[in-house]
Amino acid sequence: MTKVWLVVERDLRTFLQYKFLLIMRAIWFVAQITFFGLISSRMVIVPNYYDYYVAGVVVMLLYSTAMFIGYDIFEEAEHGVVEYLLSLPISRKEMVLGRSIGGGIRSFVYVGPLLGVVLAIIGIANPLNFLVAFASLFLFAFGVSGMSIALAVGIKSHDKYDILLGVLDALIVRLSTTLYPKAFMPNLYSAIAEINPLTFASDLFRWGAGLESVYLTSPLTAIVGLFLFFSTFTFLSVAIYEKRLEGGGWE
Amino acid sequence: MKAITHLLEYDFRMFLHYRWWMLGLISMNLADLFIMAMVFTKMVNPTIILNYFQFFSPGITITASFAAAFTIGREINWEVRRNFSHYLLSLPMTRRELASGRMLSGGLRGMIYMSPLLLTTFIFLGFPTPLQLLTILGALFLLVAGTSGLSIAIAASTKSFEKFVTARGVIYYLLFFCSTVFYPLKAIHGVLPQPLILLAQLNPLSCGADLIRAYLLGSPPFTAALLQNLLIFSVIFMVSGAAVYIKIMEHD
Repeated sequence: MTKVWLVVERDLRTFLQYKFLLIMRAIWFVAQITFFGLISSRMVIVPNYYDYYVAGVVVMLLYSTAMFIGYDIFEEAEHGVVEYLLSLPISRKEMVLGRSIGGGIRSFVYVGPLLGVVLAIIGIANPLNFLVAFASLFLFAFGVSGMSIALAVGIKSHDKYDILLGVLDALIVRLSTTLYPKAFMPNLYSAIAEINPLTFASDLFRWGAGLESVYLTSPLTAIVGLFLFFSTFTFLSVAIYEKRLEGGGWE
Repeated sequence: MKAITHLLEYDFRMFLHYRWWMLGLISMNLADLFIMAMVFTKMVNPTIILNYFQFFSPGITITASFAAAFTIGREINWEVRRNFSHYLLSLPMTRRELASGRMLSGGLRGMIYMSPLLLTTFIFLGFPTPLQLLTILGALFLLVAGTSGLSIAIAASTKSFEKFVTARGVIYYLLFFCSTVFYPLKAIHGVLPQPLILLAQLNPLSCGADLIRAYLLGSPPFTAALLQNLLIFSVIFMVSGAAVYIKIMEHD
């Protein structure tokens, strides 16, 4: 377990080097909640839409920050660090578990202060509900990191990963309830949103913060969905990482 | 003129290297239009915007052309970091040809990238008359040429890729969100402070989007100020972009 934490610590330190990226994401967050959120909430017929929207923006940020671990893997491959990592007295399982956890924790470390801003806007109605939601968001972040690692190591091409991530981001965010409730989606989109982990995470966060809305997914469904998402992608990332990390072939 | 043609060809070939990346971007733009805008159509109060999909379609075209025209900055920044400018300066062409060639390349890229989205807009909103089409294309060219000038000025001013990306991000968010790309001007009133409302009015992205809306939707009404603002933006940023580019290349 100590070895897993060593990997986690390393990933946290690496993350702090991306100062400009972190600044950019923070600017994006501010722009979303001060411009688009405020203005669009005056245009829509959804009651209390601003609170609904800012909660979704935090989950989007958590998702995109946790996905960033895949880029670290490409950086390591480009600079020959993969071979160094393989030579360490750490098993592949410990390595990938550490990376999934590290990817999740670092996204929380980053999103934490911004989450505080959002909670200051929305408030917390029931602390117990919030703790349950908060713990589930950890599962979500670990699952996203696992997904990012599985994709990066599975594809082994920086360009393809970049494109896939763009397309995935375009679809997974928009076909979820991060930005709008399911009730306003066409049937096909709504059906996809119902099984989307971003829907589970954002609706659970809203429930935890005490946003009362008829549009939210049931908390139990969301927790089970996030647990399944976390288990699937943690298992997949371990399996793919173990199988694909060695042997080069990085583009 | 021949030198400029060579530069256009060179930059166009470079642009083709980004084709997959562009495909990713186009898919994001289309997802914005066919998913986000469709959902917002049901959510938005019809007294503010009757059909959000129709309203947003010109907006996404403008957003896409702006983003594509900015890609020239990425390359210029790379050239500045790798001292590639020494090679460019040794070529048998004047500094003015070099700067205007790069500027036009950026504009050309924006126009090419934006064309499928503009066509999508025409398909869903109806086709303009030939004169309106020419005006739209001319206005969009002013927008993308000015944008590439802006992008080149920023890219040439710093050797740090991170600083370039950060500056680009700040400009993106400021110009995108303080514009009428996502919402009409009347929705901004009372939310943003007066200077930002003024920015939204004069913003070239607003002018481009509103020009297409004026012709295809009839609202907001067409005014000469839309074209005038675009022309001023384009001239200022093309001239300043070229001046900064030449100066920095020579002193590097």
